Amino acid sequence: MLGKLLKYEFKATSRTFLPMYALLIVMSFINKFFYSNNFEYFKIPKLISMTVFIVVIAGISVMTLIITIQRFNKSLLTDEGYLSFTLPVKAHLHIDAKMIASFVWSLLSVLVSLIAIFVMIANHNVFAELGQLWKELSDVIAKVGPGAYVLLLEAILLLIITTLGSIVEIYAAITIGNLSSKHKLLAGVGAFIGFGIVQQIVVSIFITALGPNVEEYFESISRSGVQTLMNVSELVMLVLILYTLVFGLAFYFLTNWMLTKKLNLE
Amino acid sequence: MESILECRNLVKFYPNCLALNAINLSIPKGRIVGLLGPNGSGKSTLIKLANGLITPTSGQLLINGMEPGTETKKIVSYLPERTYLNDWMTVNNMIEFFRDFYSDFNHQKAYDMLQRLGVDPTQRLKTMSKGTKEKVQLILVMSREAELYLLDEPIGGVDPAARDYILDTIISNYNENATLIISTHLIADVEKILDDVVFISHGNIVLTSTVDDIREKENKSVDALFREVFRC
Repeated sequence: MLGKLLKYEFKATSRTFLPMYALLIVMSFINKFFYSNNFEYFKIPKLISMTVFIVVIAGISVMTLIITIQRFNKSLLTDEGYLSFTLPVKAHLHIDAKMIASFVWSLLSVLVSLIAIFVMIANHNVFAELGQLWKELSDVIAKVGPGAYVLLLEAILLLIITTLGSIVEIYAAITIGNLSSKHKLLAGVGAFIGFGIVQQIVVSIFITALGPNVEEYFESISRSGVQTLMNVSELVMLVLILYTLVFGLAFYFLTNWMLTKKLNLE
Repeated sequence: MESILECRNLVKFYPNCLALNAINLSIPKGRIVGLLGPNGSGKSTLIKLANGLITPTSGQLLINGMEPGTETKKIVSYLPERTYLNDWMTVNNMIEFFRDFYSDFNHQKAYDMLQRLGVDPTQRLKTMSKGTKEKVQLILVMSREAELYLLDEPIGGVDPAARDYILDTIISNYNENATLIISTHLIADVEKILDDVVFISHGNIVLTSTVDDIREKENKSVDALFREVFRC
């Protein structure tokens, strides 16, 4: 069933994303053309096409956020919810499908934007510089040893969990907002701000509790070598991953609980 | 007789409003039941509870002995009083959607009915009139071979000519073991197809009876009785 839900989720969203991606790639080629042919009379078109390019990039990131919100709200909590919630699927599968689709589009939006920028600026110098950068990076990794790969893996994991966590945080806020019968939007925004405050409080409690120990610890590190620094970085990343994971799971289960036990479609 | 839908002390509170007041109701299998009541009497609330779209404040509602959930959704075909179709899809897309999710969906039946009612399956829902959308929705819902059909105001928005065809469709498309619950206030139109009636008013069940009993004992039509019971 998850596969079927995903199929329709991508069907519904690709109508918006794919044309925007196509537009961005076309714009990047147009810009590339203007920049490689440096004629005086191209000045104004050049400026215009660059502006459009920037607007489209900004538009794609805004749209990714809006569609994350809109797909969840519209297809589950408005009239379309009457169909979604009478399908013989468990509520968490709706969350899963929407979360996965939003995650994939967020990733693609970043990737396509990077590719578009790369297409626009790519020339011999850029390739040479990238080669140089890659060489330096390899040197650093060789110096640090396998710890670098662990750190890289942790960074990727953190990025994935943070993205998924932010998506379910939005879902949880929308679902709480929907419990209010009159001011759904206001309650939703309020819930989102509330989540931020709760997270702040949790972090402050931890820092205060650990207090002096943490300071001492970090001072001792600053006096030690690269290896210890690596170990500490790995540890810090691990703590961040756990923190994001715990909150992400909390938002996920909260949303699922509300959609199963507290659902009240108007 | 085994009941397909059962309510036990079912209560539903909305903020500042009691929608269902501890109702007890048992609907046996294989009947066509009219859920009749004025606007705001609790008809839709009851049907929405049966579909798990809202949760009861207290009490229980059971479908085939189960609380609303994935298993009951497999056997319940629901027509809401509003349009729930994704407006960017075509009718063909919607039929594919129903085929994907409901194993009891009979697409051949759907295409036959669409043809009879003159709806073009390649048309986008966005471009359709409200009445046409309602027809499409009803066709989708009636093309399932479900055990319980819950139809909330199924003929409210369609013209009288199509109404007769739709009622015929409803009757000819449902099998003997299935149960049909039709909520409406257009009683005269549906009266001829009903086996039983449930009168509901201000969240209370005020009368449950077979249509034959009403005709024999009271010697009047359901429509006349309704006008009497709910006189303003």
